[in-house]
Amino acid sequence: MARFLATASGADAVEITGFTPLRGGAIQENWALDARFSGRALSGEQRLVLRTAAPTGVTASLGRIEEFAVLKAAFAAGVTVPAPLWATDDPQIMGKPFFVMSRIDGTAAAHRITRDRALDPALPAIAERLGCELARIHTIRPPRADLAFLAPYEKVGPAQQIATFRAYLDRHPAPRPVLEWGIRWLETHVPPPTDPVLCHRDFRTGNYMLNGAVLTGILDWEFAGWGDPHEDIGWFCSKGWRFARLDREAGGIAERSPFYRGYESEAGRSVDPQRVFFWEVLASVRWAVIALQQSDRYMIAGERNLDLALTGRRATECELEILMLLDTGGAPRGA
Amino acid sequence: MRDLPSGPRLLALARDVLLHDLMPLLPSEAHLDARLVANSMAIAEREASAGEESAQGIFDDLEKLYGDAGSGGPELLARLAHDLRVGAFELSEQRERDARRIMWRLTIAELRSANPRFLNANGLS
Repeated sequence: MARFLATASGADAVEITGFTPLRGGAIQENWALDARFSGRALSGEQRLVLRTAAPTGVTASLGRIEEFAVLKAAFAAGVTVPAPLWATDDPQIMGKPFFVMSRIDGTAAAHRITRDRALDPALPAIAERLGCELARIHTIRPPRADLAFLAPYEKVGPAQQIATFRAYLDRHPAPRPVLEWGIRWLETHVPPPTDPVLCHRDFRTGNYMLNGAVLTGILDWEFAGWGDPHEDIGWFCSKGWRFARLDREAGGIAERSPFYRGYESEAGRSVDPQRVFFWEVLASVRWAVIALQQSDRYMIAGERNLDLALTGRRATECELEILMLLDTGGAPRGA
Repeated sequence: MRDLPSGPRLLALARDVLLHDLMPLLPSEAHLDARLVANSMAIAEREASAGEESAQGIFDDLEKLYGDAGSGGPELLARLAHDLRVGAFELSEQRERDARRIMWRLTIAELRSANPRFLNANGLS
């Protein structure tokens, strides 16, 4: 590892002074990597993060080398992200591909962010800033030679996502009527195609870092791909990502208006609430499927992880949200 | 007939011991896992207490929807899922309403075990 870091960075020598796992990434492993660099190009103590794949994963996520390329594109577009440093797929070093980025300060703990009363006054401005950051991500548009590995929009648009959800449910051992109903609604309400942009596809509270009230970075780019910009907006606002504050519709931190305002002012175009609604329904279906896939990692792949096993139970929370969004009459009496 | 204290009561007591007696003795990096264990025990306790009553009520509704008392509940549930996928109830307002009622019942019954706090936060119980 030290040799790799020295070669990649152009340092004369590197000494690893710390290598400890970071909690949080359910799908990837993140390690706090401390190293002392000496030489011309880079010198001194560096606080880094090494990101690599967990033993089992969900199929939709990018490989680490691809995720590194997306992170570099976002960095170049002016999005607030940890600085992307080096990547390798050489199996000699860790046995699997990984990349290294700078370590940013702060917390991404969503329950803490949505519960911390001291943070409340700053949250609308943070939501506005996040809207602005998202619009910057969406300035990245195809075609891009550096992102040529991303599937074309035609292959990852709503119709394809719907087909993927159904294919998953066909393999799932238990029937999920509410998901089937929600997917049917999606199928019959697909919005007209739009010019695709780079979607983060997991842009939400829990995936950005705050140092006090300062946004220090957007994290976890493993699901990025070409898509409808409203997909990210719907995902950010969906109930599954509001944590302790279901009433604050923009990521559990604010009303939608500051988030939309930040987005619109940076993007120079309006948010379409109808499109957001479609993607918000899809977000609930998608999160339910991801939750079930997470518990499959225990149920099928045998990964001994209680957090993942429990995540499967969260699919029903998404199903309640699907019912609340699409059956506005509410729960029948006696249900 | 099972001996006492019942399984759900033992789980409730064990969870209380975990959270109040053991948790303070655990290093802070083990607290999250301990809370996940406590949450799993709470789900198991609520499921055991609820028994099969709510599932039976849903199966009864399914039998009524399909006019089919011969098939088992799980089979009818799979049939409901399939029919919802293909929009089979979209031409009949009454059957659509009946199907939606079953979906609400299923979802609320499951959340009563898995996450009653989420149910309450959404104005349901």
